[in-house]
Amino acid sequence: MKHVKILFLVIFFFLSLNLVSCVPGGVEPAQGWSGVACYDGMLYVGSMDSKIVKVDPTTPSIEWSYTIASAPSQGMLSCGRTSALAAIYGTPVPTEDLVYVGAYNGKVYALNRDTGYERWIYPKEGYIGPIVANTVVDGDNAIYVSSSDGRVYALNTSYGEFRWSSEPLSEKLWTTLTIKDDIIYLSTYENNIYTLSTKNGNLLPRTFKADAGFSSSPIIYQDTLFVGSFDNNLYAIKVGSDGLLWKFPGGRWFWSTPVSKDNIVYAGCLDGKVYAINAETGDLEWEFDTGSPIVSSPVLDADLLIVASESGDVYVFDTNIESNDEVMVPVRTMSINAVIKGSLCVQEGIIYVRAQDNYLYALDIEKGLVTWSIPVSGKKES
Amino acid sequence: MAEFWNLIILNPMLNVLIALSALLFNSFGLAIMALTVIVRVVLLPLTLKQTKSTKAMQELQPKIQELQKKHGKNREKMQQEMGQLYKEAGINPLGCIWPMLVQLPVWIALYQSIMRALATTPENLLSLAFHVYSWPVVVQSIPVSSQFLWLNLGENGDLILAIIVGGTMWVQQKMTTAPSADPKQKSTSSMMLLMMPVMFAMFTLMFPSGLALFWVVSNIIGIAVQYKVMGWGYLRIRPASQPTKVGGK
Repeated sequence: MKHVKILFLVIFFFLSLNLVSCVPGGVEPAQGWSGVACYDGMLYVGSMDSKIVKVDPTTPSIEWSYTIASAPSQGMLSCGRTSALAAIYGTPVPTEDLVYVGAYNGKVYALNRDTGYERWIYPKEGYIGPIVANTVVDGDNAIYVSSSDGRVYALNTSYGEFRWSSEPLSEKLWTTLTIKDDIIYLSTYENNIYTLSTKNGNLLPRTFKADAGFSSSPIIYQDTLFVGSFDNNLYAIKVGSDGLLWKFPGGRWFWSTPVSKDNIVYAGCLDGKVYAINAETGDLEWEFDTGSPIVSSPVLDADLLIVASESGDVYVFDTNIESNDEVMVPVRTMSINAVIKGSLCVQEGIIYVRAQDNYLYALDIEKGLVTWSIPVSGKKES
Repeated sequence: MAEFWNLIILNPMLNVLIALSALLFNSFGLAIMALTVIVRVVLLPLTLKQTKSTKAMQELQPKIQELQKKHGKNREKMQQEMGQLYKEAGINPLGCIWPMLVQLPVWIALYQSIMRALATTPENLLSLAFHVYSWPVVVQSIPVSSQFLWLNLGENGDLILAIIVGGTMWVQQKMTTAPSADPKQKSTSSMMLLMMPVMFAMFTLMFPSGLALFWVVSNIIGIAVQYKVMGWGYLRIRPASQPTKVGGK
């Protein structure tokens, strides 16, 4: 009888711990939120089941898919079927002949864009720490990626040869770097904006330090760097002088990367609002409340601003329309009824978004309709 | 229900934990230790009640063993006699369970706070945005540093910590586990004495070290409280055949 009691206690405790870690309010496993890249009429996206997929939007069908290796195990008591797989957070970066992506298993992949065959993997053995950020391909045949080991890595694009790695800059680097005039700009969770030389990865003296860590990846527009912070502000920092131009307060973190055009910065915030802010003064031009956190980065397509909320609503704004009393009304609103976290892309008037239900959706801006959706669990293995 | 839980229990605890890390030299390890101490102090009346109840139960062990010898084969009679014995001694046999159940939500919230604050995956970090207050001391500490001593508090599988968790749990249990003259019962209690520490040591290898750190501190405080109430108890080596009255130091 006592044995049964002991067994009951053990099972009860084991289940309790597992339940606590799985119920809402518990801890979520790494699942990824890869965005969609549009290139030369085709779409490239990471799936929820560790696949890089090329989709022909005209049919629509999967051209090829490539399965990336599993991540190192993170313990037995984790929830979700994808926890043992290598999550993909970065959006694939297609170029003339290759597609690049970094994965949570700590490896960078370069695949043939036509066939999906693997050209190279870095590193071949082991891993460099989980990759959450997008890879950045720059001139001079270089690809740059920040890693959870706190370093930035530079590789050759053609065959993935190691060029350099920076010194550890942070406990973990989950934000995407940006490059301007051979200088890498990088935001960290430890309150710093670092600048590095693209030539050798050496730290440059121009460093900006804030009171709180930076939650978003930076962008540079007209010699000003814009970046979101954990203190709920969007920062504008003058490139070169490293001085703070202004701070714009949101209701929560500015998590997604802002975009800018015609002296306006458009930033999605986790408070559910999209803010249009004067890039020079930091004054609010207009705002729109989507009612759901904005995790995905806004996208500009000619005069259109496209914003997706986490609840699955996609809003299209005409940036030429004057706001009415600082409030803007979208020209189109569409819904896919699935959670959106990854970045979207626009091609020939169609918005493409991969939702957390592992489907790729096509939304026609003109018609204001979802025209098709397909699962991105690849079938044709390359 | 989840929102109520977050608003009333999880969020306050999470934010205090993060604020503590800022106040304690940006060390999340020290923050976990401090919050564990605070929670144990707040729950001390319940813990004392539970410990005293356990002690009272132990003091009845010789009489219970006598009853077992006397009515070993007649379970019904034995239950009756034991019920009478508890009644006479003014003990509720479930008295040590209720305080434990009341404490359970607090421990779950503390567990969730530690796991959330560590933000081991991008999903966890993102969800942290909806739980943290805009206190400067909190926002300036996000995300917390997971380095503490030789540990990465967000990673699993530290063997030294597993041994410490198992060891402290064994000591705590040993203090309250009465030796038995009955060989069958003796083997059962020996197994139980080993099972929980081994199980928690295994959990330490499976869960982030931050949680194991909380277990270690919690165990040490538990040992201290038990020592205060009932001395070293059965941790002192005694002949197993002579059940002894538990008491003073």
